Order: sequence, then structure tokens, then C-alpha cells
Amino acid sequence: MKGTQSEQDQEPVPRMQRLFDNIWLLLAVGLAVMLIVYTGWGMWEILTMPQATLP
Amino acid sequence: MTAPALTTPGVFRTCDVTGRKIHRQAELLVRANAVTAVVALLIGAIAALLLVLTRWQAVHLLPADWYYRLLGVHGMNMLIFFIIYFEMAVLWFAATVLLNARPAAPRFGWFNFGLMMVGTLMVQWAQWTGRADVLFTSYVPLRAHPVYYLGIILFAVGALFVSLQFFATLTMAKRERTYEGSMPLVVYGALTAAIIAVITLVHGALIYVPTLLWSLGIIETVDPQVYRMVWWALGHSSQQINMAAQVAIWYMLGALTVGAVVINEKVSRTAFVLYILFISMASAHHLLVDPGFGPAWKIANTSYFMYMAVLASMIHGFTIPAGMELGMRLRGFTQGFFGWLRNAPWGDPGFSSLVLSVSIFGFVGGITGVTIGTEQINIVVHNTLRVPGHFHSTVVSGTAMAFMGVTYYLLPLIFRRRVAFWGMAKLQPYVFSLGVLLLAMGMTFAGSFGVPRRHWDISFSNAPYSVEFTPAVDLMLAIMGIGGILAVTGALMFIAIAVKSVFFGERIDAITRGTAMVGVPQGLTHPPVHPVDADAKNEALHAPARGIMGPVPGTIVLVAIFFIAFVTYYFTNWKLLSFLWKIG
Repeated sequence: MKGTQSEQDQEPVPRMQRLFDNIWLLLAVGLAVMLIVYTGWGMWEILTMPQATLP
Repeated sequence: MTAPALTTPGVFRTCDVTGRKIHRQAELLVRANAVTAVVALLIGAIAALLLVLTRWQAVHLLPADWYYRLLGVHGMNMLIFFIIYFEMAVLWFAATVLLNARPAAPRFGWFNFGLMMVGTLMVQWAQWTGRADVLFTSYVPLRAHPVYYLGIILFAVGALFVSLQFFATLTMAKRERTYEGSMPLVVYGALTAAIIAVITLVHGALIYVPTLLWSLGIIETVDPQVYRMVWWALGHSSQQINMAAQVAIWYMLGALTVGAVVINEKVSRTAFVLYILFISMASAHHLLVDPGFGPAWKIANTSYFMYMAVLASMIHGFTIPAGMELGMRLRGFTQGFFGWLRNAPWGDPGFSSLVLSVSIFGFVGGITGVTIGTEQINIVVHNTLRVPGHFHSTVVSGTAMAFMGVTYYLLPLIFRRRVAFWGMAKLQPYVFSLGVLLLAMGMTFAGSFGVPRRHWDISFSNAPYSVEFTPAVDLMLAIMGIGGILAVTGALMFIAIAVKSVFFGERIDAITRGTAMVGVPQGLTHPPVHPVDADAKNEALHAPARGIMGPVPGTIVLVAIFFIAFVTYYFTNWKLLSFLWKIG
């Protein structure tokens, strides 16, 4: 039984589980996605908006 | 390895119900934040009553200046102070109590609580004295007193630091091996809330710092379009912190009240990760009629990316009731489709809050949110009462109800007090939910007839033009008014229960299992325990012979009803849109 427990301990943790358990990575990716897709792209949209022409 | 602090006498106490080690400083931080949240709820509820009696055109209580002032007070106290203080309590609770861990730098936690309190008081002063009549959104060029902006910044910085302390506590707990393997799902939900909080608060700082400088005259202007975009990354995303915390609480209440199981850890965790990645983009919903952004930005954010978060919500919307059903079936409640629901503890306010929160959030808040967040449909919804109709059914029926539900468990577990007015506590979730449901429906249907939001007088008296609404609007506003009074009554019932319990409640030294106790929820006196042959029963419930309905047929039926309602509402709105621009 002790051997079985030891084997379980050594069983590799699946890659996705390790990714999902990495709190700092999740924080960084979550922040980056928002800053790029919403804020960065939005700023680019505003800054490249053409000047309105007078009627 | 065990951390020395874990064995220090007096630093921890052991909960006699759950057996968990509870750090005393963390417990005090949970208490302080939860109590402050309830105070904010009280202020917000009083403002709510006065507002709803003003929007009910037949009553029209407040003068214009006080209507707009209290609208700002209501928004800040409900959407920011009540919710975020409670979330801070959830973060401290999840990171320490659920992981048997010690908090990272508890003194710094108190400093941050103090920072948030100072910020709160500054905002309250500015709003109540008429120095910040700029509504919750405080769109520039509306200008408030600098104290208002500074107060929000201090509050946000304090909350941001607490979020970072949450990450530090998780890291310490992992290093000190207070838990094995991956963190529990409820803590994972709290982690999701904390990450969204950082995203939100970073945007808050990005926009409120320049706005403060502008209010002080140090910089000349703040671009209104930039302000709107960055502000909504705070204003809407702060409500997504709520949602993640609320879903985490749903999982916890399900386990505590009916022994809900997690159907699939991978699926539920993936849904939380989808929230982390995509849910903050829902902020773009508020900008769908803004001229500064092209359709690509709008549609990518509110549809392609946001729908991944909607998918996540629908995953939780299935896994939570399914987990409850499977948990109940494993405990022997296997009759028909809904025997598990009929035999559920409806008198346990934690359970009724959970079910009402999930149902109204999903059926009303979720369906209306996705529909009005569609770019084309949004044009008939924008700035009408349909928008507050939607978010009152998410933030109030969903989040506030879930927070109230978990409070009925936190009072005995963390405050170690019996829940006062126990009979009223059993009734409170029903009163509150019915009230908010009527309020939200009244707002939604009045908004469908074009009634604007944030508008003091829709009769436009003394205006140089006249706008007539169909008489049906009067009925809808009356429903809204009655619902609002009922909802505020439910909120005041909760506040009375919480205040009496915390400050004057009867202390509980021990909870005896198997014996009903007045003021202690059933999930604590009679914890739902699965039988020893649960694995065999689980296998039988998953047998292929059970057909496509599988182990949780009741939930499958509920999900089918949900989809029918969703499709019907969605396409009805497209039909309504077609009336605006008739083709052919």
C-alpha cells in the first residue's frame, strides 16, 4: 500500500492542470487579454478616428 | 512541512463543525469587511426606496436634485461598497478558512481595510453634500469635487492590495502544504474573482488618476470617449468580480445545503478560466452606440470573446443544479424528475437563496443580458429602463441574494452567533427575490416601451416638446414600484437579521450534529452526508440504460426550458427590431 501511495505521488500532473493551477500565469494572461483586446484596440480605434468634416 | 504559525497556540481556532483551522486575524478581517458591506447595503437600500418611489411616476417623490444625488449614492453603495467589501470578506475566507492557511501580512490587511474605509467616507461625504452629483458613471466633463475621485482611488488601491494579498496567501498555503493537489473549486472561483478584480482596479486607476488631476485643474481635459471606454472596464468588470464570487458561493452553498457534488472538476475549472480570459470584455456593451469605435471592435468584444464567457456561465448553470441533483439522488432522493427538488430543504435560507439566485440570474439576468448585448438589438435598448432591469436581476437577484444566502452560514461559522429572527430569516430570500423579480420585470417592460433610464420626470412637464408613452407604461412602473418596495423590505429584513445576530446575537459555543437548533441552518446541524455505497449508486445513476437523460434528468428538463425561453426571447427581440426599420 505504501508503494502504491508513492507511485501516486510520482504520477505526473497533467499539463493543463498545471497551467490552471498557476495563479500568476492566469493573472498575467487575464490582464494581458483585456489590455490588448479591449483597452489597447479601443485606444487605437479612438486615436485613428478621422477628423469629422464640417457640413 | 508545516508552517510554525499553524501550530502556534491562540493564532488559530478549530471550527467544531467543519474541523477547519481558522486564523483569528483572518476571521476578524472577514467580520470587519462583511459588517461594513452590510452598512453600505443599508445606505444603498434607503436610497433605493426613495429612487423607486420617484421613478414610479404616480408617486414621483423626490425633487430632481435629490433624485440624481441619490442615484449616485445608490450606485456607489450597492455596486461598489456593498459588493466589494463583501468580496474582500470572501477572499479572506476562501484563502484562509477553506485552505486551513494563515493570511499573508494581516496587519497590511488592516491597513488596506483602513484605506478602503477612508476612501468610502470621502466618497460618502462628497455625494451626500452635493459635491459629486455626477451619477455612478461620473462621465466627464461632469466634474465632481476632487475628494470624490481621491476617495474612489484610495478605495480601489486598498481593494487591489487585498487582492494581491489573496494571491500571496494562496502562494504561502501551497508552499506550506496546507492543502494537497489543486486548490478546491470554491477557492478557484474566488481566485477568478480576484484576477478580475485586478483587471478592474487597474483600469479604475488608469482613468480616475487623470480625472482627479483634471478636477484639480492640473490637466486641462480628459477625453470623454477614452473616459467612457476605460471607465467601463471598471464599471462593468466590477460586476464580473461579483459574478465569479457568486458562482463560487453557489458551489459552496450547494455542497453545504444538499451535499452537491462537482460533476466534473475539469469542466468547472475551464469555465472559470473562460471568465478570467473573456468576461471583462462585456464592458464594451456600454459602448455599442458610441461613435468612436468601429463594428469590428464592438462585435469582437461583445460577441466573439464575450460569448466564451457566456458559454462559461451556461456551463456553471448546468453543473451547479446537476451537482445538486446528483448529490440528492446519491442520498436517496431518486423519485421521478424532481423528487430531489421536492425533498430539498426549502426552509434553509442558504438553500432557498441559492436556488432563487441561480434561477433568476439565469432565466432573467442571463437571457436579457445576452440579448441586449447583441449589437443590433442594443439600439432599441440603450439608455432605456431595460438596462437596469437586466442588471438588477443579475447583481441583486443573483449576487446580492447569493451573498445573503452565504451569510446565513457565515453567522454561525465565522461570527459564532445564532441567526437572529430565525423565522424571518427563512422567509427573507423569498420576499427579497420576489421583490427584485417584480422590480426587474417592471423596468424591463417599461423600457421596452421606450421609458428612459436615469430620468427624473418622464412626463417631461414644462418641456418645450411632449413625449407620450403608452398607458401600459403606468402599469409597468407600478409593478416596478411595488417590486422595489418589496425588495427593499427584503433587504431591510436581511440587515435587521445580520445586525441583531452580529451585535446582539446569542453566542454558539458548539453546534450539535443531528439536533435541530433555532438560528442554525440545517446544513450545519444535519450536514448532508453521502452513504457509504455512494460509488455504487453513482455508477448505477450513470448506467447507459438510463438513456439520454442520464444521471440528472431533472436538470436536463430545466436546461431545456431555459433554452426554449432563451431562443424565444432572443428572436422576439429581433422581431421588435424589425418593426423599427420595416423592410419591403
